[in-house]
Amino acid sequence: MRSTRVFQLTALALVAVSAVQVAYWVVNQRSYAIEKVQAARTLYSQQVAAAQQLLTAGVDGQRVHQLLPGVVVESGRASLAPTVDRMLLTEEHRRINQYVWEGGFFLLALAACITVIGRALRAEARVLQEQDSFLALVSHQFKTPLASLQLSLETMALRPLSAEQSGALIDRMLADLARMEAMVTQILESVRLERGRVDLRREPIEIAGAIARVTSNLEERASRERIVISCDVPRGVHVLADPLAIDVVLRNLLENAIAAVTPVGGGTIRIEARRTNEEVEVTVRDSGVGFRPDDDMRLFEKFTRLHPGGGSSYFGTGLGLFIVRRLMQLAGGRVSAHSEGLGRGAQFVLAWPAAPAEGV
Amino acid sequence: MSAADSHTGTTVLVVEDDPHLAAGVVENLRAEGYTVQSVGDGQQALEWLRTQQCALILLDVMLPSLDGFTVCRTLREQGNNTPVLFLTARGDPADRVRGLESGGDDYLAKPFHLRELLLRVRAILRRWDWYRSASATPASAVLRFGGNEVDFRAFRAQSWNGVPQELTEKEAMILKVLAERPGEIVSREDLLERVWGYDVFPSTRTVDNFILRLRKRFERDPANPRHFLTVWGVGYRFLIEEET
Repeated sequence: MRSTRVFQLTALALVAVSAVQVAYWVVNQRSYAIEKVQAARTLYSQQVAAAQQLLTAGVDGQRVHQLLPGVVVESGRASLAPTVDRMLLTEEHRRINQYVWEGGFFLLALAACITVIGRALRAEARVLQEQDSFLALVSHQFKTPLASLQLSLETMALRPLSAEQSGALIDRMLADLARMEAMVTQILESVRLERGRVDLRREPIEIAGAIARVTSNLEERASRERIVISCDVPRGVHVLADPLAIDVVLRNLLENAIAAVTPVGGGTIRIEARRTNEEVEVTVRDSGVGFRPDDDMRLFEKFTRLHPGGGSSYFGTGLGLFIVRRLMQLAGGRVSAHSEGLGRGAQFVLAWPAAPAEGV
Repeated sequence: MSAADSHTGTTVLVVEDDPHLAAGVVENLRAEGYTVQSVGDGQQALEWLRTQQCALILLDVMLPSLDGFTVCRTLREQGNNTPVLFLTARGDPADRVRGLESGGDDYLAKPFHLRELLLRVRAILRRWDWYRSASATPASAVLRFGGNEVDFRAFRAQSWNGVPQELTEKEAMILKVLAERPGEIVSREDLLERVWGYDVFPSTRTVDNFILRLRKRFERDPANPRHFLTVWGVGYRFLIEEET
């Protein structure tokens, strides 16, 4: 990584120096051409002066023109032939044009090189920074459940506890382990998605069934947080999607909704689905903390956590919605978010391509 | 660990957004005999502290709405000197320094050992108990030297040139330790032990910095101190009367 960087920087420096060289060459050649044409003009004016002297000395005009072809004699006066004057002018323009075009082409090519190398360097710096912040964030995220686990175990080691107290501590430790496992899953999913190592299938999936499967897994947690999940999804509507990816998308979106409703002390999550011409739209509305309307795109970026800790007893890696968006993109669908503002709930819309209507 | 001796009934405020961790800390502190109040974010902590008092705040750094450093700084600006023990997942030295600069007393990185947490809580409370009892009588609450006047209870002072001074808790504590033993040599280690009580700072240089700050506040010529004298290689000697 380091040696690549050194190489890139050296190349950048070389290209930059070359660009300066070329620019200097253009300027230099231009003044050289002007200088040479000027010198030729001086020579010709000497010839004109010599011709004038010959004329004064009584040499015949015809003879003078024969001796000095660049000079014309008209009514006893010598002057530079118009063809020669035009030729000098043309030569000067032609040379300058040539240098400007050639130099300009090379400068353009070099500028393109500089842009390419500069971009590569910037992209690399960004990747490095992202990796750093990823590591920092991930290790930070793990420390909280780890600290909680350690605290529970040390409490058991330090104090005599009743069966009830031990039971509560064991439940807490199991929940901490579950949240660490969920974090690992999310991190692996996002890394896999980012590297593009996914091969999604496209098969007809009944959306009502998929939603029911995911909600039944989350029901217990939701009711513990006083959240009511309601579904209004017609049966028999099929989407074209990957069966595993659709579960991941729905799970992440619903977990996000639960995390948004928990801090306000409970509320509702409503899931609706409808079929339009080409698509099936699933809308998830929650009565949670909401977000600033301007944040509707930032929400889907990696590591965006608009409400750190808002997930109550659950994890928040800032990866959930990133995974949702990526998977929806790969599935040829889309996802969007909308909120009226902080404290006013949020609405997420998922849309998959509809499966060709079978049996309809 | 036995139930907390003299701290039974002492109120501790726990500010932690992770409910599991908060519950674990609260249960353990209660088992030690402390009265514990728990809130989940910085804003709530400041609101609670507007109307209530406690002997110690356990403060998480990464909090929703308002981070722990800001909470601590806000408290200090409001003149609230309640000791703060930071609990945080960010344990690197830069963060430790930030925590202490914002007015914290101690810093514990997550994951931490339960015994260490309880020990540190006790140590902080013991230091403050000592400071309060050592400033309890009207005579011990005020220190006068070289035209300066220090009010230990209000953390305020007026220097020889009439300029009012707001003391930080550490400055006041150092002054208290020195004033208890005027004319005697107090070692840097002794000062660290009495004022910080723990290995928060890696070096005794910190003490030197605080002494420099005290000289700036109270000496007529900080470069030629008459009250806060350095005893080379050992520590400091505090003189109430100027040495002639």
